[in-house]
Amino acid sequence: MNTNLKISNVTKIYPGCVANDNVSLEFNSGKIYALLGENGAGKSTLVKILSGVIIPDEGEIYLNKNNLKLNSPLDAKKNDIGMVFQHFNLFETLSVFENLIIDSDEQRESLREKIDSIMKKYNFSIDLDIPVLNLSAGQKQKVEIIRCLIRNPKVLIMDEPTSVLTEQETSELFLSLKKFSEEGILIIYITHKLKEVMQLCDEVAVMRRGKLISVSEIKNENIESLANKMVGQNLKTIKKKKAKTSSDQLIKITNLNFSSEDPFETNLIDINFSVNRGECLGIAGISGNGQSELFQVLSGEIISEKNSIEFNNNYIGDLSPQERREYLMAFSPEDRLEQAAIPQMKIFENVALNNFKSSNFFNNGLINENKIKEHSKKIISDFNVNTDNIELKSQFLSGGNLQKLIIGRELITSPDLLICFNPTWGLDVGAINYIHETLIKINEQNKSIILISTDTDELLKLSDKISVIHKGKLSKIMNAEEVTSEKLGILMGGAN
Amino acid sequence: MIIDINFIGLIIASIMASAVPLILASCGELITERSGVLNLGVEGMMIIGAISGFALMTVTGSLIIAVFGAMLAGVLISTIFAFLTQTLITNHVATGLALTIFGIGISAMIGKNFVGIPGKEFPVLFEGLKDTIPLLGPILFGHSIVFYFAFALPFITSYFLKKTKIGLIVRAVGDSPESASNQGINVKLVRYACILYGGAMSGLAGAYLSMIYTPQWIENMTGGRGWIALALVVFSTWNPIKILIGAMIFGGLTIIQFHMQAIGVRIPVQFLTALPYIVTIIVLVVISRDSRKIRLSTPSSLGKSFHKDN
Repeated sequence: MNTNLKISNVTKIYPGCVANDNVSLEFNSGKIYALLGENGAGKSTLVKILSGVIIPDEGEIYLNKNNLKLNSPLDAKKNDIGMVFQHFNLFETLSVFENLIIDSDEQRESLREKIDSIMKKYNFSIDLDIPVLNLSAGQKQKVEIIRCLIRNPKVLIMDEPTSVLTEQETSELFLSLKKFSEEGILIIYITHKLKEVMQLCDEVAVMRRGKLISVSEIKNENIESLANKMVGQNLKTIKKKKAKTSSDQLIKITNLNFSSEDPFETNLIDINFSVNRGECLGIAGISGNGQSELFQVLSGEIISEKNSIEFNNNYIGDLSPQERREYLMAFSPEDRLEQAAIPQMKIFENVALNNFKSSNFFNNGLINENKIKEHSKKIISDFNVNTDNIELKSQFLSGGNLQKLIIGRELITSPDLLICFNPTWGLDVGAINYIHETLIKINEQNKSIILISTDTDELLKLSDKISVIHKGKLSKIMNAEEVTSEKLGILMGGAN
Repeated sequence: MIIDINFIGLIIASIMASAVPLILASCGELITERSGVLNLGVEGMMIIGAISGFALMTVTGSLIIAVFGAMLAGVLISTIFAFLTQTLITNHVATGLALTIFGIGISAMIGKNFVGIPGKEFPVLFEGLKDTIPLLGPILFGHSIVFYFAFALPFITSYFLKKTKIGLIVRAVGDSPESASNQGINVKLVRYACILYGGAMSGLAGAYLSMIYTPQWIENMTGGRGWIALALVVFSTWNPIKILIGAMIFGGLTIIQFHMQAIGVRIPVQFLTALPYIVTIIVLVVISRDSRKIRLSTPSSLGKSFHKDN
């Protein structure tokens, strides 16, 4: 049977922001629909309305011509709308099976049979009796999908499903989604990644600032046309100029090892590399292969042997992050809200955390608020952070703005080396472009970058040299011009 | 020296009797905490239960009304806590502490008229079987119904959490109230129910003290047992069976140190009095060392307010 889902004139207003402005859309089963937009464009609000988490101020939703009143997630479930959220709705300490049975009315045995047949059909293999916290992100997502499939949904909504997946897991997910679509499930796919839209979807609806901008078939679109619709302006394609070959060595890592007692961490084995001034060294790899440990060792969160890190002719392996900063190193960690900034603190307070002896943020133990505020205002204007309120708590900044603030905070002291870890993770095209431009600018000023990233396109675009990390070991360092994404893919998989 | 084997049985039985209020209050608080709510008002709820039970017994003369009345009193006072923390989203810790202070104060006020009144005898079960088996006879038989209930409770609690749907929902709410809410579970309702259940069990524990264990009303008669019950829940890593072990060790050492003081062992009294607290915590920490299991049984949202936003 065909499924028809119609959203009619939906409006949702939050104080100070219209999240959905009179949005009307129609979907039919048999196709995969993309809902495309930057962060904050209103796509998440719209799908939360469809799944009953948020109640719209105005507007109606029709499923096969029946007017739905979705006042709670339960209503959406009852009406055969399944949703996989970007942040998983799983209970980490419960087993997979307990997670699945909790909202099911079926008996244990019959449910188990049903799950087994679903897993068999779609080639999922998950141990049902281990706690969810032991699963990888991809497996957790499969649990969420199974949870929807148990109810034989007519509509399946996926909210930014690939942000936590590896490339392998992403292609598996796409295969499954195509299969679901063939079986008559209406799929709505929310993303800001253009490549995925081109790869997977049949039709695309673009949203911007709460408004629906366009609905079109994928065959009439390309990446550039979608990007322009999404951002609302013509994006410059940025290209990196080839760096001047410099032989002036800035940082040298020699025989760096790290072994962890935590079984969930990766040991680093015999890391050796060096970076010259004005160079960008990219480190590729599938997440969980030692990137975060490498970042921590380089930034000083984990102390190593004094002689293993030589920076500007000083041995600094045993120094703390603060002391390394005094030597003009700067760091941008992966998790913006957990590691780089303190969400409950105001913007200018977060800026003050990055305290240098020379910055005079503190006088005799007292906070020099005026100085810090002045400094913060400079960061905000120099680095295009879209707010004028430095008293704002940093948790209310969008991911892109927060990242700009963090990079700005790190760069305003003009360090010699910036080490960043997935700097554009989860950001939209506009913000990614800005961060990339900034990083290229640093190299042009003869400063160096170590870029640890899981995004191969980003690495190929920005790096002068590239190495791949696999199970805590670095591959040999290659010139970026000689590397293709296929070659990186092979190395990331562990082949030589 | 010949020690009567039945005497040892009697000592063990007295140890078990002193563990009863701890087991009851801890198992109740365990359910509350498993749903993510930290109620530090156990001591207050216990003492309210103690005075309510004793007062009702004296006034109505009915033991059944007294016992259930004490549980109801625990439910009522925990309703205040639930309303404050769940509906008005106040801080769990501060509200729980206030509840204890409130409970101690109001129980002393009500209890003024009941000081010095003798309690009633509480009926015991299987009295006649006491002498049939040596050693085990005094341990197994001749106790109140509350005593038997208390020793069944950890097993019932364990079964409830592991095997029943409602137990699963309680654990899920404690793990992630956000996910539970998105799954259509009414988080507030579940937490209200768990808080009220914890109140009922604390009330019963208090009634046991004032009606069965030492049948009389003395001001502040819970003497910190509520706090021990709270510590047992945490140090047992939210495991009801380990609560039973911890309560027995605590009860055992309390009884034994009395006997040691009586015999005149040359150890400072203060040290002997402190001994049960120290040893219980050490033993529970040692038997609960597995960090993986701790991670799995700790309610992740413990003590955090949950507010559903639209």
